[in-house]
Amino acid sequence: MEITTLDLKDFYYYEQWQSLVEKEGLVIENLDDITETLGIYEDDELIATGSYFENVLKYLAIEPDYQGGAVFNKLVSTLINELATQNIFHVFVFTKPQYKQSFEYLGFQIVAETSVSSLLETGDYSIDQYIAGLPKVAGKNISAIVMNANPFTLGHRYLVEQAAKASDYVYLFVVNQDASLFTTEERMDLIKQGTSDLENVKVVSGGQYMVSFVTFPSYFIKSRADIATYQTQLDAQVFKRVAKVLHITKRFVGSEPYSPTTEIYNQSLAKVLPPEVSLEVLDRQAVDQDIISATKVRSAIQNNDLTDVEKYVPETTFKFIKTNLPTLLRRIHDGN
Amino acid sequence: MEIKHTALAGTLESSDIQFTLSKGTGVEINLDSQVEKQFGNQIRKVITDLLADYGIENVNVRAVDKGALDCTIKARLIAAIQRATDTQNQPNWEVLG
Repeated sequence: MEITTLDLKDFYYYEQWQSLVEKEGLVIENLDDITETLGIYEDDELIATGSYFENVLKYLAIEPDYQGGAVFNKLVSTLINELATQNIFHVFVFTKPQYKQSFEYLGFQIVAETSVSSLLETGDYSIDQYIAGLPKVAGKNISAIVMNANPFTLGHRYLVEQAAKASDYVYLFVVNQDASLFTTEERMDLIKQGTSDLENVKVVSGGQYMVSFVTFPSYFIKSRADIATYQTQLDAQVFKRVAKVLHITKRFVGSEPYSPTTEIYNQSLAKVLPPEVSLEVLDRQAVDQDIISATKVRSAIQNNDLTDVEKYVPETTFKFIKTNLPTLLRRIHDGN
Repeated sequence: MEIKHTALAGTLESSDIQFTLSKGTGVEINLDSQVEKQFGNQIRKVITDLLADYGIENVNVRAVDKGALDCTIKARLIAAIQRATDTQNQPNWEVLG
Protein backbone atom coordinates (compact mmCIF):
# COMPACT_ATOMS: atom_id res chain seq x y z
CA MET A 1 0.00 0.00 0.00
CA GLU A 2 1.25 3.41 -0.91
CA ILE A 3 -0.17 6.74 0.23
CA THR A 4 0.24 9.81 -1.92
CA THR A 5 -1.21 13.26 -2.46
CA LEU A 6 -3.59 13.38 -5.41
CA ASP A 7 -3.44 16.42 -7.63
CA LEU A 8 -7.06 16.75 -8.70
CA LYS A 9 -6.18 19.38 -11.27
CA ASP A 10 -4.42 16.62 -13.13
CA PHE A 11 -7.08 14.84 -15.17
CA TYR A 12 -5.34 11.47 -14.78
CA TYR A 13 -5.83 11.57 -10.99
CA TYR A 14 -9.14 13.37 -11.14
CA GLU A 15 -10.72 10.62 -13.21
CA GLN A 16 -9.62 7.85 -10.81
CA TRP A 17 -10.69 9.90 -7.81
CA GLN A 18 -14.07 10.83 -9.29
CA SER A 19 -14.87 7.25 -10.18
CA LEU A 20 -14.10 5.99 -6.64
CA VAL A 21 -15.92 8.82 -4.87
CA GLU A 22 -19.03 8.51 -7.04
CA LYS A 23 -19.04 4.74 -6.71
CA GLU A 24 -19.39 5.28 -2.97
CA GLY A 25 -22.43 7.46 -3.58
CA LEU A 26 -20.85 10.81 -2.71
CA VAL A 27 -21.85 13.90 -4.64
CA ILE A 28 -18.93 15.96 -5.87
CA GLU A 29 -19.93 19.55 -5.55
CA ASN A 30 -17.11 21.88 -5.94
CA LEU A 31 -13.36 21.39 -5.86
CA ASP A 32 -12.99 24.76 -4.13
CA ASP A 33 -13.98 23.13 -0.87
CA ILE A 34 -10.97 20.79 -0.88
CA THR A 35 -7.57 21.80 0.50
CA GLU A 36 -5.77 18.53 -0.09
CA THR A 37 -6.63 15.01 -1.22
CA LEU A 38 -4.81 11.81 -0.27
CA GLY A 39 -5.03 8.51 -2.12
CA ILE A 40 -4.04 4.97 -1.15
CA TYR A 41 -2.83 2.76 -3.99
CA GLU A 42 -2.57 -1.01 -4.09
CA ASP A 43 -0.38 -1.79 -7.09
CA ASP A 44 -1.73 0.68 -9.63
CA GLU A 45 -5.27 0.82 -8.36
CA LEU A 46 -6.63 3.68 -6.27
CA ILE A 47 -8.34 1.82 -3.42
CA ALA A 48 -9.07 4.64 -0.98
CA THR A 49 -9.20 8.41 -0.85
CA GLY A 50 -9.93 11.17 1.63
CA SER A 51 -9.70 14.97 1.55
CA TYR A 52 -9.93 17.85 3.95
CA PHE A 53 -10.95 21.48 3.93
CA GLU A 54 -9.61 23.45 6.88
CA ASN A 55 -10.27 21.05 9.79
CA VAL A 56 -13.06 19.04 8.16
CA LEU A 57 -12.50 15.61 6.61
CA LYS A 58 -14.39 15.09 3.34
CA TYR A 59 -14.97 12.78 0.42
CA LEU A 60 -13.78 9.64 2.19
CA ALA A 61 -14.26 6.65 -0.09
CA ILE A 62 -12.86 3.12 -0.08
CA GLU A 63 -13.14 0.34 -2.68
CA PRO A 64 -15.73 -2.19 -1.43
CA ASP A 65 -13.14 -5.03 -1.26
CA TYR A 66 -11.00 -3.04 1.17
CA GLN A 67 -13.71 -1.68 3.45
CA GLY A 68 -14.14 -2.48 7.12
CA GLY A 69 -10.78 -2.17 8.79
CA ALA A 70 -7.13 -1.52 8.15
CA VAL A 71 -7.43 0.69 5.05
CA PHE A 72 -10.02 2.93 6.68
CA ASN A 73 -7.91 3.31 9.84
CA LYS A 74 -4.82 4.11 7.79
CA LEU A 75 -6.68 6.67 5.71
CA VAL A 76 -8.19 8.54 8.66
CA SER A 77 -4.98 8.30 10.64
CA THR A 78 -2.92 9.72 7.78
CA LEU A 79 -5.36 12.61 7.31
CA ILE A 80 -5.22 13.44 11.04
CA ASN A 81 -1.43 13.31 11.05
CA GLU A 82 -1.28 15.50 7.96
CA LEU A 83 -3.49 18.10 9.67
CA ALA A 84 -1.34 17.86 12.83
CA THR A 85 1.71 18.93 10.82
CA GLN A 86 -0.26 22.11 10.05
CA ASN A 87 -1.04 22.56 13.75
CA ILE A 88 -4.66 21.56 13.28
CA PHE A 89 -5.65 19.16 16.07
CA HIS A 90 -9.39 19.57 16.32
CA VAL A 91 -10.91 17.65 13.43
CA PHE A 92 -14.49 17.18 12.23
CA VAL A 93 -16.10 14.72 9.90
CA PHE A 94 -19.51 14.97 8.33
CA THR A 95 -20.69 11.50 7.31
CA LYS A 96 -23.60 9.14 6.76
CA PRO A 97 -25.06 7.50 9.88
CA GLN A 98 -23.90 4.03 8.77
CA TYR A 99 -20.25 5.12 9.07
CA LYS A 100 -20.69 6.75 12.46
CA GLN A 101 -19.49 3.69 14.32
CA SER A 102 -16.31 3.34 12.25
CA PHE A 103 -15.33 6.86 13.28
CA GLU A 104 -16.31 6.34 16.91
CA TYR A 105 -14.03 3.33 16.85
CA LEU A 106 -11.18 5.71 16.01
CA GLY A 107 -11.94 7.98 18.95
CA PHE A 108 -14.33 10.40 17.24
CA GLN A 109 -17.32 11.64 19.26
CA ILE A 110 -20.77 12.62 18.05
CA VAL A 111 -21.52 16.34 17.94
CA ALA A 112 -25.01 15.95 16.47
CA GLU A 113 -26.97 13.72 14.13
CA THR A 114 -30.07 13.52 12.00
CA SER A 115 -31.61 10.55 10.18
CA VAL A 116 -29.41 11.19 7.12
CA SER A 117 -26.14 12.58 8.48
CA SER A 118 -23.83 12.59 11.47
CA LEU A 119 -21.27 15.15 12.59
CA LEU A 120 -18.35 13.86 14.65
CA GLU A 121 -15.22 15.46 16.08
CA THR A 122 -11.92 14.44 17.64
CA GLY A 123 -8.79 16.04 19.03
CA ASP A 124 -7.93 18.70 21.57
CA TYR A 125 -11.29 20.50 21.66
CA SER A 126 -14.96 19.51 21.83
CA ILE A 127 -18.45 20.94 21.87
CA ASP A 128 -18.61 20.26 25.60
CA GLN A 129 -15.58 22.48 26.12
CA TYR A 130 -17.17 25.14 23.91
CA ILE A 131 -20.36 25.07 25.97
CA ALA A 132 -18.41 25.06 29.25
CA GLY A 133 -16.68 28.27 28.12
CA LEU A 134 -19.93 30.19 27.54
CA PRO A 135 -21.27 32.53 30.24
CA LYS A 136 -24.18 31.04 32.20
CA VAL A 137 -27.24 33.06 33.17
CA ALA A 138 -30.32 32.34 35.24
CA GLY A 139 -33.81 33.27 34.10
CA LYS A 140 -37.10 31.90 32.92
CA ASN A 141 -37.09 33.21 29.40
CA ILE A 142 -33.69 32.71 27.86
CA SER A 143 -33.57 33.14 24.12
CA ALA A 144 -30.97 33.15 21.38
CA ILE A 145 -30.12 34.69 18.04
CA VAL A 146 -27.41 33.50 15.68
CA MET A 147 -26.10 36.13 13.29
CA ASN A 148 -23.32 36.72 10.84
CA ALA A 149 -24.07 40.47 10.69
CA ASN A 150 -21.89 41.29 7.71
CA PRO A 151 -22.18 44.10 8.83
CA PHE A 152 -24.56 44.85 11.74
CA THR A 153 -27.59 46.76 10.36
CA LEU A 154 -30.71 48.41 11.76
CA GLY A 155 -32.49 45.18 10.82
CA HIS A 156 -30.21 43.19 13.14
CA ARG A 157 -30.69 45.84 15.78
CA TYR A 158 -34.48 45.48 15.54
CA LEU A 159 -34.26 41.69 15.91
CA VAL A 160 -32.03 41.96 19.00
CA GLU A 161 -34.26 44.65 20.55
CA GLN A 162 -37.39 42.55 20.12
CA ALA A 163 -35.69 39.50 21.61
CA ALA A 164 -34.31 41.55 24.51
CA LYS A 165 -37.79 42.93 25.29
CA ALA A 166 -39.36 39.47 25.31
CA SER A 167 -36.64 37.65 27.30
CA ASP A 168 -34.78 37.72 30.59
CA TYR A 169 -31.56 37.07 28.70
CA VAL A 170 -30.56 36.82 25.06
CA TYR A 171 -27.53 34.89 23.86
CA LEU A 172 -26.32 36.50 20.66
CA PHE A 173 -24.11 33.98 18.89
CA VAL A 174 -21.83 35.52 16.29
CA VAL A 175 -20.87 33.37 13.31
CA ASN A 176 -17.17 32.76 13.71
CA GLN A 177 -16.03 32.20 10.15
CA ASP A 178 -13.79 34.55 8.25
CA ALA A 179 -15.58 34.18 4.94
CA SER A 180 -17.30 37.55 4.83
CA LEU A 181 -16.40 41.08 3.80
CA PHE A 182 -16.18 42.08 7.45
CA THR A 183 -13.82 39.97 9.54
CA THR A 184 -15.09 38.02 12.54
CA GLU A 185 -13.46 40.49 14.89
CA GLU A 186 -15.04 43.47 13.12
CA ARG A 187 -18.48 41.86 13.02
CA MET A 188 -18.23 40.98 16.71
CA ASP A 189 -17.13 44.53 17.64
CA LEU A 190 -19.91 46.16 15.63
CA ILE A 191 -22.51 43.89 17.23
CA LYS A 192 -21.17 44.68 20.70
CA GLN A 193 -21.14 48.42 20.00
CA GLY A 194 -24.59 48.33 18.43
CA THR A 195 -26.15 46.48 21.38
CA SER A 196 -24.15 47.90 24.30
CA ASP A 197 -27.25 49.63 25.74
CA LEU A 198 -29.14 46.32 26.00
CA GLU A 199 -27.97 44.93 29.31
CA ASN A 200 -29.59 41.51 29.03
CA VAL A 201 -27.86 40.66 25.76
CA LYS A 202 -24.78 38.44 25.92
CA VAL A 203 -22.70 38.59 22.76
CA VAL A 204 -20.69 35.37 22.37
CA SER A 205 -18.77 33.61 19.65
CA GLY A 206 -20.53 30.80 17.81
CA GLY A 207 -17.22 28.94 17.62
CA GLN A 208 -17.20 26.24 15.00
CA TYR A 209 -20.61 25.06 16.12
CA MET A 210 -23.00 27.75 14.89
CA VAL A 211 -23.25 28.14 11.12
CA SER A 212 -19.64 27.41 10.20
CA PHE A 213 -17.86 25.61 7.40
CA VAL A 214 -18.33 22.58 9.62
CA THR A 215 -22.04 22.62 10.33
CA PHE A 216 -23.34 24.52 7.34
CA PRO A 217 -20.85 24.85 4.45
CA SER A 218 -23.61 25.76 1.97
CA TYR A 219 -23.96 29.09 3.72
CA PHE A 220 -20.53 29.96 2.38
CA ILE A 221 -20.21 27.73 -0.69
CA LYS A 222 -23.08 27.58 -3.16
CA SER A 223 -24.80 24.20 -2.99
CA ARG A 224 -27.81 22.27 -4.14
CA ALA A 225 -31.03 22.72 -2.18
CA ASP A 226 -31.19 19.13 -0.90
CA ILE A 227 -27.65 19.41 0.44
CA ALA A 228 -28.47 22.69 2.16
CA THR A 229 -31.50 21.00 3.73
CA TYR A 230 -29.60 18.20 5.41
CA GLN A 231 -26.79 20.51 6.49
CA THR A 232 -29.19 22.99 8.05
CA GLN A 233 -31.03 20.24 9.89
CA LEU A 234 -27.75 19.09 11.35
CA ASP A 235 -26.83 22.67 12.29
CA ALA A 236 -30.20 22.94 14.05
CA GLN A 237 -29.42 19.76 16.01
CA VAL A 238 -26.08 21.23 17.11
CA PHE A 239 -27.91 24.35 18.25
CA LYS A 240 -30.36 22.25 20.25
CA ARG A 241 -27.51 20.59 22.08
CA VAL A 242 -26.09 23.97 23.10
CA ALA A 243 -29.56 25.32 23.92
CA LYS A 244 -30.28 22.47 26.29
CA VAL A 245 -27.28 23.21 28.51
CA LEU A 246 -27.90 26.97 28.48
CA HIS A 247 -31.68 26.57 29.06
CA ILE A 248 -32.48 28.45 25.87
CA THR A 249 -36.16 28.00 25.06
CA LYS A 250 -36.62 30.35 22.15
CA ARG A 251 -34.74 31.30 19.04
CA PHE A 252 -35.41 34.49 17.07
CA VAL A 253 -34.78 34.77 13.34
CA GLY A 254 -35.63 37.34 10.70
CA SER A 255 -37.86 36.32 7.79
CA GLU A 256 -35.91 35.78 4.63
CA PRO A 257 -37.25 37.30 1.43
CA TYR A 258 -34.00 37.25 -0.56
CA SER A 259 -31.69 34.33 0.10
CA PRO A 260 -33.05 30.85 -0.76
CA THR A 261 -30.35 29.20 1.38
CA THR A 262 -31.29 31.21 4.46
CA GLU A 263 -34.95 30.46 3.78
CA ILE A 264 -34.13 26.73 3.75
CA TYR A 265 -32.28 27.30 7.01
CA ASN A 266 -35.32 28.91 8.62
CA GLN A 267 -37.51 26.03 7.46
CA SER A 268 -35.10 23.48 8.93
CA LEU A 269 -35.07 25.36 12.24
CA ALA A 270 -38.87 25.34 12.31
CA LYS A 271 -38.84 21.60 11.74
CA VAL A 272 -36.04 20.56 14.11
CA LEU A 273 -36.12 22.97 17.08
CA PRO A 274 -39.60 22.38 18.58
CA PRO A 275 -40.79 21.33 21.06
CA GLU A 276 -37.72 22.03 23.23
CA VAL A 277 -36.98 25.37 21.57
CA SER A 278 -39.65 27.49 19.91
CA LEU A 279 -38.89 29.52 16.81
CA GLU A 280 -40.03 33.09 16.42
CA VAL A 281 -39.79 34.54 12.93
CA LEU A 282 -39.91 38.32 12.85
CA ASP A 283 -40.68 40.28 9.71
CA ARG A 284 -37.73 42.11 8.31
CA GLN A 285 -37.55 45.82 8.98
CA ALA A 286 -37.77 48.33 6.17
CA VAL A 287 -36.91 51.98 5.66
CA ASP A 288 -39.33 53.66 3.24
CA GLN A 289 -40.60 50.22 2.19
CA ASP A 290 -37.08 49.20 1.35
CA ILE A 291 -36.18 46.08 3.34
CA ILE A 292 -32.92 46.41 5.26
CA SER A 293 -30.30 43.83 4.43
CA ALA A 294 -26.58 43.50 4.92
CA THR A 295 -26.30 42.57 1.24
CA LYS A 296 -27.64 46.01 0.31
CA VAL A 297 -25.16 47.64 2.67
CA ARG A 298 -22.33 45.77 0.98
CA SER A 299 -23.41 46.79 -2.50
CA ALA A 300 -23.75 50.40 -1.33
CA ILE A 301 -20.16 50.16 -0.06
CA GLN A 302 -19.09 48.74 -3.39
CA ASN A 303 -20.76 51.70 -5.13
CA ASN A 304 -18.98 54.03 -2.75
CA ASP A 305 -22.40 55.38 -1.74
CA LEU A 306 -22.20 56.37 1.93
CA THR A 307 -25.62 58.08 1.88
CA ASP A 308 -27.17 54.75 1.00
CA VAL A 309 -25.13 52.92 3.65
CA GLU A 310 -26.31 55.36 6.31
CA LYS A 311 -29.98 54.48 5.67
CA TYR A 312 -29.51 50.87 6.74
CA VAL A 313 -27.04 50.85 9.62
CA PRO A 314 -26.74 52.21 13.16
CA GLU A 315 -24.33 55.04 13.83
CA THR A 316 -21.66 52.73 15.24
CA THR A 317 -21.52 50.64 12.06
CA PHE A 318 -21.67 53.74 9.88
CA LYS A 319 -18.70 55.28 11.65
CA PHE A 320 -16.68 52.12 11.13
CA ILE A 321 -17.54 51.90 7.43
CA LYS A 322 -16.79 55.58 6.86
CA THR A 323 -13.39 55.31 8.54
CA ASN A 324 -12.46 52.04 6.84
CA LEU A 325 -13.96 52.61 3.41
CA PRO A 326 -10.66 52.30 1.49
CA THR A 327 -9.89 48.98 3.23
CA LEU A 328 -13.37 47.63 2.52
CA LEU A 329 -13.23 48.70 -1.12
CA ARG A 330 -9.87 47.03 -1.49
CA ARG A 331 -11.24 43.80 0.00
CA ILE A 332 -14.17 43.87 -2.44
CA HIS A 333 -11.76 44.51 -5.27
CA ASP A 334 -9.55 41.60 -4.16
CA GLY A 335 -12.61 39.38 -4.22
CA ASN A 336 -13.35 38.83 -0.53
CA MET B 1 7.86 20.68 32.27
CA GLU B 2 5.14 22.76 30.69
CA ILE B 3 3.01 21.82 27.71
CA LYS B 4 3.59 24.68 25.28
CA HIS B 5 1.07 23.71 22.60
CA THR B 6 -0.99 20.79 21.38
CA ALA B 7 0.96 17.93 19.81
CA LEU B 8 0.09 14.59 18.31
CA ALA B 9 2.01 11.33 17.89
CA GLY B 10 1.13 7.83 16.77
CA THR B 11 -1.50 6.45 14.41
CA LEU B 12 -4.87 4.74 14.55
CA GLU B 13 -3.62 1.58 12.92
CA SER B 14 -3.72 -1.81 14.56
CA SER B 15 -1.18 -2.33 17.41
CA ASP B 16 -0.54 1.41 17.63
CA ILE B 17 -1.80 4.23 19.84
CA GLN B 18 -2.47 7.87 19.02
CA PHE B 19 -1.74 10.55 21.61
CA THR B 20 -2.93 14.13 21.55
CA LEU B 21 -1.46 16.23 24.35
CA SER B 22 -2.82 19.68 25.09
CA LYS B 23 -2.69 22.28 27.85
CA GLY B 24 -4.76 21.49 30.90
CA THR B 25 -5.04 21.81 34.66
CA GLY B 26 -3.78 18.74 36.48
CA VAL B 27 -3.30 15.48 34.63
CA GLU B 28 -6.44 14.42 32.76
CA ILE B 29 -6.38 11.19 30.81
CA ASN B 30 -9.09 10.41 28.32
CA LEU B 31 -8.47 6.87 27.09
CA ASP B 32 -10.33 5.13 24.30
CA SER B 33 -9.39 1.45 23.99
CA GLN B 34 -11.01 -1.79 22.93
CA VAL B 35 -9.02 -3.54 25.62
CA GLU B 36 -10.06 -1.03 28.28
CA LYS B 37 -11.50 -3.76 30.52
CA GLN B 38 -8.39 -5.94 30.55
CA PHE B 39 -5.62 -3.35 30.19
CA GLY B 40 -7.13 0.10 30.84
CA ASN B 41 -5.46 0.52 34.22
CA GLN B 42 -2.13 -0.78 32.95
CA ILE B 43 -2.18 1.70 30.03
CA ARG B 44 -3.06 4.55 32.38
CA LYS B 45 -0.20 3.58 34.67
CA VAL B 46 2.30 3.64 31.81
CA ILE B 47 1.04 7.11 30.90
CA THR B 48 1.03 8.60 34.41
CA ASP B 49 4.46 7.14 35.25
CA LEU B 50 6.02 8.57 32.12
CA LEU B 51 4.40 11.99 32.64
CA ALA B 52 5.77 11.98 36.19
CA ASP B 53 9.26 11.10 34.89
CA TYR B 54 9.08 14.18 32.69
CA GLY B 55 7.73 16.30 35.55
CA ILE B 56 4.55 17.19 33.66
CA GLU B 57 1.82 18.16 36.08
CA ASN B 58 -0.67 19.94 33.86
CA VAL B 59 -1.82 18.24 30.68
CA ASN B 60 -4.85 16.86 28.88
CA VAL B 61 -4.01 13.47 27.41
CA ARG B 62 -6.24 12.06 24.73
CA ALA B 63 -5.26 8.48 23.86
CA VAL B 64 -6.89 6.33 21.20
CA ASP B 65 -5.49 2.85 21.62
CA LYS B 66 -5.58 0.14 18.97
CA GLY B 67 -3.97 -2.57 21.07
CA ALA B 68 -0.49 -1.10 21.52
CA LEU B 69 2.15 -2.85 23.65
CA ASP B 70 3.70 -0.93 26.57
CA CYS B 71 6.88 -0.19 24.61
CA THR B 72 4.80 1.35 21.80
CA ILE B 73 2.74 3.37 24.27
CA LYS B 74 5.94 4.76 25.80
CA ALA B 75 7.55 5.53 22.45
CA ARG B 76 4.47 7.36 21.16
CA LEU B 77 3.97 9.28 24.40
CA ILE B 78 7.64 10.35 24.53
CA ALA B 79 7.32 11.65 20.96
CA ALA B 80 4.13 13.54 21.85
CA ILE B 81 5.69 15.01 25.02
CA GLN B 82 8.80 16.19 23.23
CA ARG B 83 6.72 17.78 20.47
CA ALA B 84 4.35 19.45 22.96
CA THR B 85 7.24 20.84 25.02
CA ASP B 86 9.41 21.81 22.03
CA THR B 87 12.23 19.54 23.23
CA GLN B 88 12.56 17.28 20.19
CA ASN B 89 16.27 18.08 20.03
CA GLN B 90 16.93 17.52 23.72
CA PRO B 91 16.15 13.87 24.46
CA ASN B 92 15.68 13.16 28.14
CA TRP B 93 18.30 10.44 28.57
CA GLU B 94 17.34 9.63 32.14
CA VAL B 95 13.80 8.73 31.08
CA LEU B 96 14.86 7.01 27.88
CA GLY B 97 17.52 4.95 29.68
